[in-house]
Amino acid sequence: MDELDPVIHAQARLRIMSALSTLEADGSISFPRLQELLDMTAGNMSTHLRKLEDAAYVDITKTHKGRTPITYLGLSKKGRRAFEDYMETLRSVLGER
Amino acid sequence: MTNNSRDAGPANAADRFAHAPLDDDAALDPAAMYALLNNQQKSVETQMGAFVPYITLAWGLTWLIGFGALWLIDGLQPVFSLPLAAAVPIFIGTILISGGFSAWLGIRAGRGMRGNSASAFTGTVYGITWSIGATALGIFGSALQHQGMSAETANFFYPSAYVLFAGIMYIIAAAIWHAVPSLVGGCWLVVIAVAAPFFGYPGHYLFLALAGGLAFIALSVYGAVEQRRIRSLTNGGGPRG
Repeated sequence: MDELDPVIHAQARLRIMSALSTLEADGSISFPRLQELLDMTAGNMSTHLRKLEDAAYVDITKTHKGRTPITYLGLSKKGRRAFEDYMETLRSVLGER
Repeated sequence: MTNNSRDAGPANAADRFAHAPLDDDAALDPAAMYALLNNQQKSVETQMGAFVPYITLAWGLTWLIGFGALWLIDGLQPVFSLPLAAAVPIFIGTILISGGFSAWLGIRAGRGMRGNSASAFTGTVYGITWSIGATALGIFGSALQHQGMSAETANFFYPSAYVLFAGIMYIIAAAIWHAVPSLVGGCWLVVIAVAAPFFGYPGHYLFLALAGGLAFIALSVYGAVEQRRIRSLTNGGGPRG
């Protein structure tokens, strides 16, 4: 049986990756907007984002809007590929392919 | 969070997802994870598109009220007649209000989002095409009137030309953003645009008011119901965690 990527194979991180996968390639979303869409606490989301960032699956860009710091998140190429591989593996585990 | 789905037994995957503790580092079984993945994607897409039924409703009302006002100029003669000086501002006013409302909702929906340069180009070109097309049709109509098109014929030309143009723009939007409701709405607009003149004056205004307005209101209701269905399926975007 294929191994499911342990970085993605956790509920919170799968939800984050799934949400980010709906963005177009190279697209990104601000931290508070993603938090709102996922209805996760900031602390919990940060914890899981750090793990995804450590695996280089998520690109985190810090910028400013006026004086307000704003953090944008998006899937890296590696992350998008890993997510697609994860989906493929899940499907094959489930016998869909 | 009340229920640990890993102990939930052989319930179906969606049920397991609905009651899953989503704030932990653990994984569910593959079927539940697959359901979680799909439901989360649907949830995000639904939340991102939550504004669409409002826009569709606004345009449905605009059509109903705007074309309804034009029809009322002569449609109920001699019992009632809405003065031209009132009907035209109502028509233009409702379009401007809906246009402004749509733009506001669209901007609000895009908050916190950054696209890539290709999609920014697509969006800009699409937006500008509305202005170019609307202006060009106005000039085209004027040119035809200059060449002898009567005011009576112009009464058919302008509404049908603009509705046809709007329909084609909806179809293009459907092609760009893979939006099936936009395709349905666009095709319907094309059909009613070319059918309207057959109803004669002022019946074509009533036809556009009802066929356009009611169809968009129906599309809006369908969109809202569909979103509610997906929200219930995805447990409102996932429990807080």
